[in-house]
Amino acid sequence: MTEPTLQARTETAAPTWKPQIAAIVCNWCTYAGADMAGTTRREYPASVRLLRVPCSGRVNPLFILKAFEQGADGVLVSGCHPGDCHYVQGNYFARRRFAAFRSLLNFLGLDPRRVHFSWISASEGIKWARVVGDVTRAVTEAGPLTDWGRASSPAQVTLPEPPAPRPQPAAAELEAVTGHVRELAASLLREGKVSFVLGWAPGPSPGQTIPAFIQRPEDAATLVFDTHSHADLAAFLAGPRKVSGKVAVLVKACDARAATTLLAEGQLVREDVVLVGVSCPGMWRDDRLAYRCHSCDGEVGALCDFTVSAAGVQPGALPTGAKRATGPDPRDLQNAHLESLPAAQRWAFWQEQFADCVRCYACRAVCPMCYCGSCISEQHRPQWVPTSIDGRGNTAWNLVRAYHLSGRCVGCDECERVCPANIRLDLINRRLALELEQRFDYHAGTDPEGAPPLATFRPDDPQEFIY
Amino acid sequence: MGTPSAGQIHRLGRDQLASWVDALLGERKRVFAPVLRRGLRVLRAVERAQDVDFAPGRTRWSPKEFLFPRTETLFSYENRDGVPVLADPPADDVPRILFGVQPCDAAGLVRLDSILLQDPFYARRRELTTVVAIACSEAAPECFCTAVGGSPAGQEGVDVLLAPLETGWVVRALSPKGEALLAPRRGGWETAAAGDWEAALEQAGRVAGSIGRRELPAAWAEKLEQSFADPIWDELARRCVGCSICAYVCPSCSCFDVADEGSDACGSRCRTWDSCSFRLFTQHGSGHNPRATQPARSRQRVLHKFAFYPLQHGGRAMCVGCGRCIRSCPVGMDIHAEVVEVMSGRPEKEAGDVQR
Repeated sequence: MTEPTLQARTETAAPTWKPQIAAIVCNWCTYAGADMAGTTRREYPASVRLLRVPCSGRVNPLFILKAFEQGADGVLVSGCHPGDCHYVQGNYFARRRFAAFRSLLNFLGLDPRRVHFSWISASEGIKWARVVGDVTRAVTEAGPLTDWGRASSPAQVTLPEPPAPRPQPAAAELEAVTGHVRELAASLLREGKVSFVLGWAPGPSPGQTIPAFIQRPEDAATLVFDTHSHADLAAFLAGPRKVSGKVAVLVKACDARAATTLLAEGQLVREDVVLVGVSCPGMWRDDRLAYRCHSCDGEVGALCDFTVSAAGVQPGALPTGAKRATGPDPRDLQNAHLESLPAAQRWAFWQEQFADCVRCYACRAVCPMCYCGSCISEQHRPQWVPTSIDGRGNTAWNLVRAYHLSGRCVGCDECERVCPANIRLDLINRRLALELEQRFDYHAGTDPEGAPPLATFRPDDPQEFIY
Repeated sequence: MGTPSAGQIHRLGRDQLASWVDALLGERKRVFAPVLRRGLRVLRAVERAQDVDFAPGRTRWSPKEFLFPRTETLFSYENRDGVPVLADPPADDVPRILFGVQPCDAAGLVRLDSILLQDPFYARRRELTTVVAIACSEAAPECFCTAVGGSPAGQEGVDVLLAPLETGWVVRALSPKGEALLAPRRGGWETAAAGDWEAALEQAGRVAGSIGRRELPAAWAEKLEQSFADPIWDELARRCVGCSICAYVCPSCSCFDVADEGSDACGSRCRTWDSCSFRLFTQHGSGHNPRATQPARSRQRVLHKFAFYPLQHGGRAMCVGCGRCIRSCPVGMDIHAEVVEVMSGRPEKEAGDVQR
């Protein structure tokens, strides 16, 4: 991908323009199939550049991202037919990853004519010639890719807002919960059951709460629970932010899902943590209910050791009875609006959002699922994510982040809340979560023993998008 | 009204301020001013005065990015048939005006100067830049300029100061650059009435009075430096999650990373913002990291601003109290409170030296 021809991006569709297509192909099937096409003198457009990989399972979707970033107008990924993998299962895993990544690119508004997948065996020289012809035609129709990392025209998108704001919950109820939280925290510390209680305490700005690490029983009185107890404290249970020692952590419904996913991914030893579920009336952002809270009933789920509600502390994970009325998720309404727009306008919308990214990585820093000791954005050989804070680098980072969370994100929306550039990361996460739910019947954060959807497969997974 | 002269204070109506901005744009100057965009109040190059948001309050990012960009190309290279060809980035000599920044932001640029003026790219842009600040008519809960020697009507780094009156603005040049900016306008502007300037300062005094945060004396630098090994830092920064919002919203943080981006065919050497809060910032090739923990990295930011920098650069803190880092921190790290907290725990403190 370092050839000058691929770097020299054609800026305008001159009559002589020919698409540059990166074809990432499996050594055992498609590569040989292409060879077969050659030896049998089968004609096909000379628009593809082959990148040979040992298996389609070796194809990190970031290869596709990198190809576009370095000037490809289209990408074709091709491997062995299901059941024929040289390594038995590689293409099954690949199929799931491609489904997720393709859905991400579609949602962001990249022209779907630019990304293609196929299964082509070593004997299918004719199919190879046909697929390359089809792909070349599609990419030619899409034209030169000139807006990777930038919006070619103003998006002018206004997202629909949910109807009438809801009334804030009664202060007395929240105060009662706060009181019970303090009592429980103090007693856990006094009895030496934990060395820390992780909760929320008032912050420096009015109405703000911040994560608090309570070590002494008498300090438990600084804890509060209110409609601004936003921080997902499960973020302190794994990875570089992990708190050492046995901790009790206060979790809302969304945070409990994060803890569940950490368990499912083997990042958390259940015995090391006391999960204290808090009956949650919903979180408020400025004067509105947080989007994620519209469709959530606030129940903390089956995992907790204690459940705290206005009525008191109950041992175990019991329903709090504080069920809230739920309505449609505003994120889905906003996404439906985005998806009703032409792809090009959607691409412009997201590029405008990404243009404001400063790569502070706060989205990563607060995400309970971002627990890697070394993020791919910090790796330099090869450098997957350019360090430059510009359209190219920001697009790479935001795609990498979203893809790595597909099927894992529990929708706590902390990344969106802390983003200093107001990038609607919640919408991207939500769209991918729904895609994986629909495709693989996987609901992140519900089963501490379930395999993450991209770490498993079914031989009959849908593959309607593959030639 | 006599012949307008240098040093004179003027009074502008609301519309006059906007027409001044339009006139500057008409002279092909680049004007960076606060605008509202996607729910953010940010400084951007404006094309017409009606887009400018003259309301009080800080912008999300400081103005430093117009002198010290988020990313800039230092040079680019190309492989021409085996011969490397280097090229400088295109020169950009358009005069520019930072219009409507806060006085703390202007002071932040003076701090940046002490680090970056030796860089030709920064120095050239600095030379081309005139700073028009607006005195603050309100303080946010996170503001603490008065704690670090600033003021809501601060003049440090300000070329022209605008201060709001009930029915308009007073405007005064504070530097030769400011004089040059005002000179062509003086003929058409009304001279301020006696007492206008004082009224504006009085208003700023009231704003200063509303800032409840205590002073952080420059004399604390040495004691703060001695707190380096104090375990209190581990406790204070336990919740720091290691993003770089604080450094990136800061008007005086100046750290950067240099990376080559491209291939063996062509590419460029880029300078990009970096932050001491990142693990990678001090990670050695050997694997050793002298700031191995997040609290150690968090401590670095506070001590650099309030101990190391003042001890090396004439005593003043490298913090202007704009409060952006406090406001935008995902976990509410409060640099002012941290300094106070550390000092209140220092045994060498003088009696009565520290009170919350």
